[in-house]
Amino acid sequence: MSRRYGVARRWGWNSLRLRLLLAILAWVVVGIGGIWVSATRLFAKHVELGFHEELEVHVQELAGLIRLKADGAPVLTRPLSDPRYLVPMSGFYWQVNVDGHPPLRSLSMRRGALDEQVAHSAQVLHRIDKGPSGPAITYGFVAKGPQGQDVHYMIATDERLLDATISDFTRDLTGWLGGLALTLLLIGGAVVLFAFEPLDRLAAAIGRLRQGDREALRGAMPLEIAPLADDLNAYIAHTAGVVERARVEAGNLAHSLRTPLAVIIDEAERLAREPGTQESAQVLLDQAQRMAQQIELRLARARAAVTGNLPGAICRIAPTLAPILSAMRRLHPGIAFVESAPVPADASLPIDPSDLTELLSIVLDNAGKWARTRVDVGVAAGRITIADDGPGMTGEERCRAGEAGLRFDPDRPGSGLGLAIARDIVAAYALDLTLSDRQDGQLGLCVTVAAAEEPR
Amino acid sequence: MRILLVEDDDQLAQRLSERLRGAGFAVDLARSREEGEAWPDMDMLAAVILDLGLPDGSGLDLLRGWRLRRVACPVLILTARGSWQDKVEGLNLGADDFVVKPVRFEELLARLHALLRRQIGVRGTWLEVEGVRLDVISGEVESEGQPITLSKQEFRLLHLFLRHPGQVLSQGAIVEHLYDLDTHRDLNAVEVLVSRLRRKIGAGRIRTLRGLGYRFGAA
Repeated sequence: MSRRYGVARRWGWNSLRLRLLLAILAWVVVGIGGIWVSATRLFAKHVELGFHEELEVHVQELAGLIRLKADGAPVLTRPLSDPRYLVPMSGFYWQVNVDGHPPLRSLSMRRGALDEQVAHSAQVLHRIDKGPSGPAITYGFVAKGPQGQDVHYMIATDERLLDATISDFTRDLTGWLGGLALTLLLIGGAVVLFAFEPLDRLAAAIGRLRQGDREALRGAMPLEIAPLADDLNAYIAHTAGVVERARVEAGNLAHSLRTPLAVIIDEAERLAREPGTQESAQVLLDQAQRMAQQIELRLARARAAVTGNLPGAICRIAPTLAPILSAMRRLHPGIAFVESAPVPADASLPIDPSDLTELLSIVLDNAGKWARTRVDVGVAAGRITIADDGPGMTGEERCRAGEAGLRFDPDRPGSGLGLAIARDIVAAYALDLTLSDRQDGQLGLCVTVAAAEEPR
Repeated sequence: MRILLVEDDDQLAQRLSERLRGAGFAVDLARSREEGEAWPDMDMLAAVILDLGLPDGSGLDLLRGWRLRRVACPVLILTARGSWQDKVEGLNLGADDFVVKPVRFEELLARLHALLRRQIGVRGTWLEVEGVRLDVISGEVESEGQPITLSKQEFRLLHLFLRHPGQVLSQGAIVEHLYDLDTHRDLNAVEVLVSRLRRKIGAGRIRTLRGLGYRFGAA
C-alpha cells in the first residue's frame, strides 16, 4: 500500500477511526467521571452519617456513665467502650461541665477544651468547632442533675479523621476507575482496529485501483460494507469492460473504414494513371487522404477521452517502455535507442498504460525518423525525456508542431498526426509535453513528457 | 522475387496483388490465418505482407507461429488498426515494419523494398554488381552506364541475381523465386529467360554451372 494510505492517513483528523476513538474517549471520560463524582459524594455522605450516628451514641453513653457526687462534682463510673477516648490527642474527646465544678475530660484530651455552648439544649446538637487538635465535630446536650443543676455533656471527634477516611476512599477509587478507564480505552482501540480492518482492505483495493491495478476486491467483507465492495467490483469490471469495448469498437470502426478506403485510394491511383481522369482522381485521393487522417485523429481522441476520464490511472514506466524501445530498435535499425540510466522501478505517470504506449511510441518513432545516429531516453520520477541527434526544430516549428496533418518533411513516411495525437493524449491526462533544444547543447530535439505541476 | 500477401479483403487483395506484380514481384495470396499457417514454402519467400485483421484470428498469432517455426523472411504488417499497441506487439513478435491502411501504393512499395534491401545490408534504392545497376524503386536498369529495357520477368531475374551475387542459383530456386504457386512452372522457361537476359546485359555476366545452376558475378 502506498504511503498516502499509511498510518498517518488512517488516523488523520478526518478519519472515521479517530472520530470513533474520540467518541469512545468521551464516553469513557463522561462515564467513569460520573461514576467517580457520584461514588465519592455518596461515600462521603455515608461516612459522615456513620460518624454522626457514632458520636450521638457516644454522647448518650457518656451521659449514662457520668454520676454526680454529693457535692455535685461529675465522675466517670467506667471508661467509654471506645478505647480511642483513652489515647492522648487521638482526636476523640469528651468533656462534662457542671456549674461550680471543674470540667471532667477524657484522658485523650491532654490540652484544650470543648466549648460548652454546643451543649445548651436537652436535644443532642452538633457543630464544627475548634477542638483540642484542630477543627472538630462536636456533639452535646444538657441535662438536669439530681439537685437541678445543669450538666453539659460534650463529645468531639477531629474533622480530619473524617476527611482522611473520605480522601483515602477517593484515592483508591480514582486509581481503580483510572485503571478501568484505561482498560476500556484499550478495548475501544482494539475494537476500532478490528472493526475497520475490512475498510482497510477496501482502501487498499481502491489504492491499487488508483495505481492502475484494476483487479476485483477479494475476500469476505462484513454485511455492512459487502454491498459497497460488490459495487466497487462491479464498477471495476464495468470500467474495464467499457474501456475494452470502446477500444475494440474503435478498432473495428477503424478496420471497417480503412479497408474500403484503401480500395478507394487504389482505384483513385489507377484513375490517376489514365489521361482523362487525372484531375478527378487527384480529388478522390486528396479527400480519401483527409478521411484517413480524420479517422486516425478522431479515433485516437476518442480513445484518449474514454481512458483519460477514468479515475486514478497510474502506469509504471519501466514495463511499458521496454517493449516500445525493443520495437523501435527493430523499426529503426540504424538508430541506437539508448537509455541514459536504468529506469527506476517505481517511476510512473498518471496515465492508462495503453495511452502511455501510444504516446511514447509516437514520440520515439518521431525521434527515430529524425535522428542521425541515436535517441537518448531518460526516465526520472514522473518524467520521461527523449532526445534525438537530428536537425532539431526552430522556435516557430516547435510552436507549430502538433498541428494536425502538418509534416515538416513530406518525403519522410508518416501521416503528420503523431504529435497532434500525442498532444491530445497529454491533454486528456494530467501531463505536459514540451519540445525543446537538447540540454547538452548538441543539435537535436528534446521531448519531455512529465506529470503536470498542478493537478487538473 | 516472390512475396506472400495475407489479406482477407478480396478487392484489396486482388488490387494489391496486381500492382505488386506490376512492380516486378511474383505474388501468392493467402486469405486467412489458417491458410497462412499452412503455407508450404515460407523459406522461399522474399517477404510477407501481413494483414492483422484476419477473419479466423489475429495476424499477430500467425506471425508468432511463423517465428516459432523459425521462418526468417521479412514481414511487413499491413494493419487497419492504427494503435501503436498492435504495432509494438507486432514488431516485438518479429515483424520488420508496418504500414497503416489506407496506404498509397508507392509508400507500401518503398517500405517493402526497404525491407528487402535491409535484409541484404543495402541502404540505397539501387543494387549494383560488376557494372550492372538496378533501381528497385524506379525500375531503371543500366549496364556500364547504358540504360537497358527489361521485361517484368527479366527484371525479376536480374533482381534475384543482384541480391545473390556470386551465389549459385539452381533452376528450381529461380522458379521458386520468380513464379507464384498458381503459375505453371517450367524449368525450360528459366533457361530461355536467362538467355534473354544475357543478351541484354552481356553474356559473360551470368555463368552456367552444369548440373548446379547459374551464377551472376565472380564467386
